[in-house]
Amino acid sequence: MTSPFRFRRFRTRLLVLLLGLLGISQAVTYVLVTRANRTTAITAINEALARGVNQFASIAERRKADLLLAARLMAADYAMRQLFLIEEFSPATARSALESYQERIQRLQTPVIILLSPEGALLADTRGRTNEGQRVAFEILRAQAEASDFQEATGYGFIADIFSQMVMVPLLAPPPEVVAWVGLAFSIEESTARELKKDSALEVSFLTGGRTPRVIASTLSAALAEELARKTNAKEIASTELDLNGEPYITTLRRLETTGGEPVWIVLQRSLEAELTPSRLLERIILFVTLASLALAAIAALWIARGISRPVQRLAAHTAVIARGDYTTRLQFDRIDELGQLAEGFNRMSTGLAERDQVRDLLDKNVSPEVATQLMRDGAALGGEEREVTILFADLRGFTTLSESLPPREVVTLLNRYLDRMSAAIEAHGGVIDKFIGDEIMALFGAPVAQPDSADHALAAALAMRTALATLNAEFAAEGRSPLAFGVGINTARVVAGNIGTQRRLNYSVIGDGVNIAARLQSLTRDAVHRTDIILSAATLEAATRRWRTRPLGSVLVKGRTGTLSIHALEQQTHP
Amino acid sequence: MKIPPLALVLLLPGLAAGATEFTLTVRDARGNPVTDAVVSLHAHAAPAVPTPSADVVIAQEDKEYDPYVTPLIVGTRVLFPNRDTVQHHIYSLSRPKRFEKPLYASGTEEAVVFDQTGVVVLGCNIHDWMIAYVVVLATPYFAKTDADGRARLEGFVPGRYRLEVWHPRVSKPATRELTIDADSNPALEISLNLRPERRIRRAPENKTGGY
Repeated sequence: MTSPFRFRRFRTRLLVLLLGLLGISQAVTYVLVTRANRTTAITAINEALARGVNQFASIAERRKADLLLAARLMAADYAMRQLFLIEEFSPATARSALESYQERIQRLQTPVIILLSPEGALLADTRGRTNEGQRVAFEILRAQAEASDFQEATGYGFIADIFSQMVMVPLLAPPPEVVAWVGLAFSIEESTARELKKDSALEVSFLTGGRTPRVIASTLSAALAEELARKTNAKEIASTELDLNGEPYITTLRRLETTGGEPVWIVLQRSLEAELTPSRLLERIILFVTLASLALAAIAALWIARGISRPVQRLAAHTAVIARGDYTTRLQFDRIDELGQLAEGFNRMSTGLAERDQVRDLLDKNVSPEVATQLMRDGAALGGEEREVTILFADLRGFTTLSESLPPREVVTLLNRYLDRMSAAIEAHGGVIDKFIGDEIMALFGAPVAQPDSADHALAAALAMRTALATLNAEFAAEGRSPLAFGVGINTARVVAGNIGTQRRLNYSVIGDGVNIAARLQSLTRDAVHRTDIILSAATLEAATRRWRTRPLGSVLVKGRTGTLSIHALEQQTHP
Repeated sequence: MKIPPLALVLLLPGLAAGATEFTLTVRDARGNPVTDAVVSLHAHAAPAVPTPSADVVIAQEDKEYDPYVTPLIVGTRVLFPNRDTVQHHIYSLSRPKRFEKPLYASGTEEAVVFDQTGVVVLGCNIHDWMIAYVVVLATPYFAKTDADGRARLEGFVPGRYRLEVWHPRVSKPATRELTIDADSNPALEISLNLRPERRIRRAPENKTGGY
């Protein structure tokens, strides 16, 4: 299963990461801001609605006070009393008097003034013929006034089909004698809605009726007001969201009881969109900032990615160069940051690898591969260990005369050809060239790598050397050169093997009496009495596990040693 | 508002025959004495109403009517002297006597004869708080309760009477049938249910800073 977030390119990963993080944070910010704006707007509208309800109440209260004042003055008016002083009450006169009062208080938009007897009978009204429903409304109000301590009553009602505020006051002549009742109705339709809208910036509608309310007055357009009436249930609602023509309005519905009629609903609203208009600007700015920062982040991500992936690609390519063994090419980074340090590290590594390669090469040429390996593995620490080894010395015969008769360069060439063949023979049988001493070869078997059959290896190597020399001599003969001869001494003994020398310069070698004996045996081959070019000690013969054709040469005295040493000549082997 | 019927409570059984006077005490529902109640005795065998012997004065003084309640025999002439420095304007919208005496000057006097029985309420078109009641009766046996709610009736002969008790705060006079004996000396206690006091309070004069 592969994760969708595995990217082949670092650039893509960085781009996705940066844009993703920024996008998420901006989206969260946008959502939170939008939500907060909406909540704030709804809260603000609800507060405005609550204020609107209070404003309506205070407008109604103020108008009621105006109306009461007008009614009281009217009821106490001298002319009003005069109507009742005459013997025969004249309804026509009373009506015209009421109309005259209506003119006086024109500002109050009073559609009806009514005069009732103390018992509630209609005496006169400004319309001449108040319908029964209105008379009932006024009569209910009169009864309320009579029952109240102040002999006054106010309320809402439909007077001449106009939604009105009503007041009822007594005509006292003299107080507290009630001679008649004076009722005033005051239209609170369009003007109130407009005044309330002006004060509160709310849409104001008056509806009436039960299940299917009808619009009395509204600051909304006629179509919206009709839609409002359709969508309104006859229920008081503190705050709700109501869609009018698809636009949400926060709406409050308050019930007003009317005197002797259906209740009236005052509906206050404000468009949520209108309230959110300032916030929308903020949201658009946030959106713009988001898009701009995403674009900037994308550019930054690509730039950063380029700044990282390009050098990384170059570094990766450079590792391939180093892997090929090219330690000479250098990375050129003109930067001091981590990548610059890395490139520098690469370059130092190349230098180090080159040096190490060179050292290893030189080591291989100066010491045998086994010694070189041992040195590289264990380090060049001074000291040694005792072990049994077989030491082989080989010396070129007549080399001195040869070097005298030939130019030195040719001498070296010849010597190198000889040493090369000998070395090959020795190494082919597990021997290690310890050192070249001029034309002399010192080789070890069983050190530094332990060999339990080091004697067998040494003897096999000696025979191979003899064969290799014969081959070389055949080549020399073909070249018209005189043949070469050598002498080989082999001894097996316990010696100390290790790094010998100083801290600064050392050789891997073996030290011990057995080494000297091997050298002495080599020099014994010069003695013609032995008639052999390869002499081995009895110790070697004993150490050998295979059967070798040897010829005992008896015991000899060795220089620097007490006692005799039994020596043997290595014959050519009959079996392979 | 419905006015509850007047409750008449006889504390002492019967009235002694031969007595020519008796005393009444009028109290409200709480037992407090009621001032300015008019009590009157009306004979069943409708006797001739006596001619009023003298005029009655209802003065206008200190922008008030004095007295507040005046019981009198039908046909009595009432004099209304204006003892204030301002003019007054007496009016009455009451059915027994509708009249007005428009703005008449200080120091002058108006006279009105009350020729129908009933209660006449007097107001002043200039001063809304001024009010007086004239109780026009067809009997000479009447009295007005004093501050203790007491009234004394006298000068009548024993027999059957209708007792009427009226007060500005009742809409109709309360009545009670009585048989009065010559030698008894009855003391009657009557309880009235009064309407709440609605007399408007006169604006305090010269006490607050003017306009």
